[in-house]
Amino acid sequence: MNLFLYLARESPVHRLDPRTKIFLLLGSFVAAVLFSQPGPLAILLGVLLLYGATARALGNLRRIWFLLVSIAIISMVSWSIFTRGATPLFWRVTWEGLRYGIGAAIKIDSMIISGLIFLSTTRTEEMVLGLIRLRVPYRAAFAFSLAIRMVPTIIGTAVTVTEAQRSRGLDLESGGPLARLRKYIPLLVPMFLQTLRNTDQLAKALESRGFGARRERTWYLEIGFHTADILALTLGTILLVIFVAIRFLG
Amino acid sequence: MPMIRLDEVSFRYRGATQLALSGVSCHIRPGELVGLLGRSGSGRSTLACTLNGTIPHLVRGELRGQVHIGDQDIRGRRPRDLADRIGFLFQDFEAQLFSTNVALEVAFGPENLAVPREEIVRRVERYLRMVRLDALRHKLPAGLSGGQKQRLALASVLALEPQVLVLDEPTSDLDPAGRRDLMEAIRSIRGDRSLTLVLIDPETDEMDWVDRLIVLDRGRVALSGTPAELWDKGEALEKLGVKGFTLARLASSLGFRERWRDADQAAAAIRATGWRVDGGAVDRLRMAEGQRPPGEVLLEVEALMHRYPDGTEALSGVSCAIRRGEFVAILGQNGSGKTTMVKHLNGILSPTAGQIRLLGQSLRGQPAARLSRRVGLVFQNPDHQIFAERVRDEVAFGPRLHGLSEDEVSRRVDEALEAVGLAGAKDLDPFVLTKGSRQRVAVASTLATKPEVIILDEPTTGLDHRELQGMMALIRRLNEEGHTILIITHAMAVAAEYARRVILMQDGRIVRDGSTRDIFRDESSLRDLGLTPPPAVQVANRLGVPALTLDELIACLTKSINSPIHQFTDPPIHESAPGRP
Repeated sequence: MNLFLYLARESPVHRLDPRTKIFLLLGSFVAAVLFSQPGPLAILLGVLLLYGATARALGNLRRIWFLLVSIAIISMVSWSIFTRGATPLFWRVTWEGLRYGIGAAIKIDSMIISGLIFLSTTRTEEMVLGLIRLRVPYRAAFAFSLAIRMVPTIIGTAVTVTEAQRSRGLDLESGGPLARLRKYIPLLVPMFLQTLRNTDQLAKALESRGFGARRERTWYLEIGFHTADILALTLGTILLVIFVAIRFLG
Repeated sequence: MPMIRLDEVSFRYRGATQLALSGVSCHIRPGELVGLLGRSGSGRSTLACTLNGTIPHLVRGELRGQVHIGDQDIRGRRPRDLADRIGFLFQDFEAQLFSTNVALEVAFGPENLAVPREEIVRRVERYLRMVRLDALRHKLPAGLSGGQKQRLALASVLALEPQVLVLDEPTSDLDPAGRRDLMEAIRSIRGDRSLTLVLIDPETDEMDWVDRLIVLDRGRVALSGTPAELWDKGEALEKLGVKGFTLARLASSLGFRERWRDADQAAAAIRATGWRVDGGAVDRLRMAEGQRPPGEVLLEVEALMHRYPDGTEALSGVSCAIRRGEFVAILGQNGSGKTTMVKHLNGILSPTAGQIRLLGQSLRGQPAARLSRRVGLVFQNPDHQIFAERVRDEVAFGPRLHGLSEDEVSRRVDEALEAVGLAGAKDLDPFVLTKGSRQRVAVASTLATKPEVIILDEPTTGLDHRELQGMMALIRRLNEEGHTILIITHAMAVAAEYARRVILMQDGRIVRDGSTRDIFRDESSLRDLGLTPPPAVQVANRLGVPALTLDELIACLTKSINSPIHQFTDPPIHESAPGRP
């Protein structure tokens, strides 16, 4: 099972410097939190989808559509119920509450989609290199990438351990809440120990490949700002300025 | 000057009472290839870990003596400081890969050592070509096969251009094809002899091409010499818990003194010196085979298909019937669907299409928790299931889940531990046991639920020669006591010696299914699947003897003129034995 979102494709967005993409990601987050009304947020979502299409990354939406739809429904329902407003529609739901709910749904989904585009077009190594050029210490940036690296390993261990204990007769589906909780001990103990062993192995392997041997290191990957980056940064800045202007002037 | 110099090196793991290494001294010349042998716990890996500072910097304990790499005393040097001098390839290939593509993986080491970029580009090209992965440079390492991953790890270590390379059981977790390709890669880097190599591998027969073998026992060098010198030291090796060379045992049993390089040479020598096939003995072999006819059909698999959520089809129409009392080995490369198939037999996975019946009753809708009483599945790695603080509680886990009374539970725990030879370990913490014993605890926990069928996924991986023999003797006894046994294995010698039926799988299908004797006689179709029969069977096939073990082969050969004599039949045409340089 491939748990990485990165899509090894050719696209103008893939070729952008990771720093540019980090800026665009943060810019989209800022734009999203500026608004609570559906109108401008829908425009932001439209811009993001256009960006995603350019990146040829929208295929990945299929992998998280369930998450996106669930968030949308939950936020629309809960905000509709709990937000008071002046224009009742039916039961406790008011026009204002519903609008706020829709806005929140688009806001959260936009942020997730923006993150998805970033991860679909940026390798972990590019991310690390980008962060370092932005003055994040190498060890911190690498720890971050190692955490991402460990996720599939841990999931794999969890699956195997669960299968092994089910083969011995462990039935996770029956019993009261307390009984169920106790059933997790045979799962958690081997998972925890196996993960410890894995990290121990990882540490040995990292050391033997010279990790941390020198104060300086070199990079096989090359990143740098090109015309496309300047274009993307300019466009991103203009859009952000427009969004800020709408929020505070319009 | 030696490349590696150990002077009176001793090491005690923190918290241990005994020394893991006790006064080891040895010199290894530049360019030499040394093989390390020894039972588990003999100190092989410990010794390897002292060479690059993993001991004492990452594994704590008390280290004495001196280790020199070239002219440098490595005391106080961490592995990362030695990374450009001494490379380390580990058994666990998953843990050695950190990157999101193959080329970046190879670049990681040189980057850490601040090698200039143009030079890194050159090394990435060079070493990927050397391990034949250059076509996959843009692939995600996680998506490679085990053998490819280990070759990638090898290229990544070579890219540091060390003077010494330590290979710590690099093939143990690989399937036969992965093993063969990795060994070929290792042989090819031997080409220019600029590297000093230390190779740990449990398979003595695979070590016949090294310059020198060092056998460790209880932390000391017990025996050392070239493969030629150790060729006829089979007994001494066995005493140290290490398997001797198979062909050497055959040679000495038949009174030959020369060293045979491969099965072809052995067969030719045997033919040329008046040995004949003893027809009576062959008939007796065949008779013994028919003595225990299997019982009724226990498990029936019909047109089984399985597709994983991500769309890969792991099984595409598998059908077979397992009868009561059978001993079946399932062979095939990783990814051929072996494990996926057996996970259907106890209900862990549900078929995408097709049927499985246990004594005529469909398994569909029956939860794994209930089925586990009838079909027991022992996973490959015992550490994926052991959780209790005492061996007895670990073994009692299954019976308790099945709601048996405490009296019955403790009776079954005693029985099961008795059966696996761990009766004395009842109150120990499972984690103080060796890998082989933990594997036994796992078998005992399955045994305690008294299943009719016991399936074992690679039960001998990671066990040394004696542990392997003990484990297989146990499984054979369970079979003789009436349990139906299925094993998945990559160890051809194990399949040949113990199983009576072999199922060959490839790409989610069963490609052959027959008696072990028939399957192993047909060497070319095994080779088509990347499988090689064990040396004894190779010789037997070349002589036209249907033997599956060395003892059977020896029993079928005679020089006597009184026994009914079969002429050597012309052996079927074989592809040549695995290439030697």
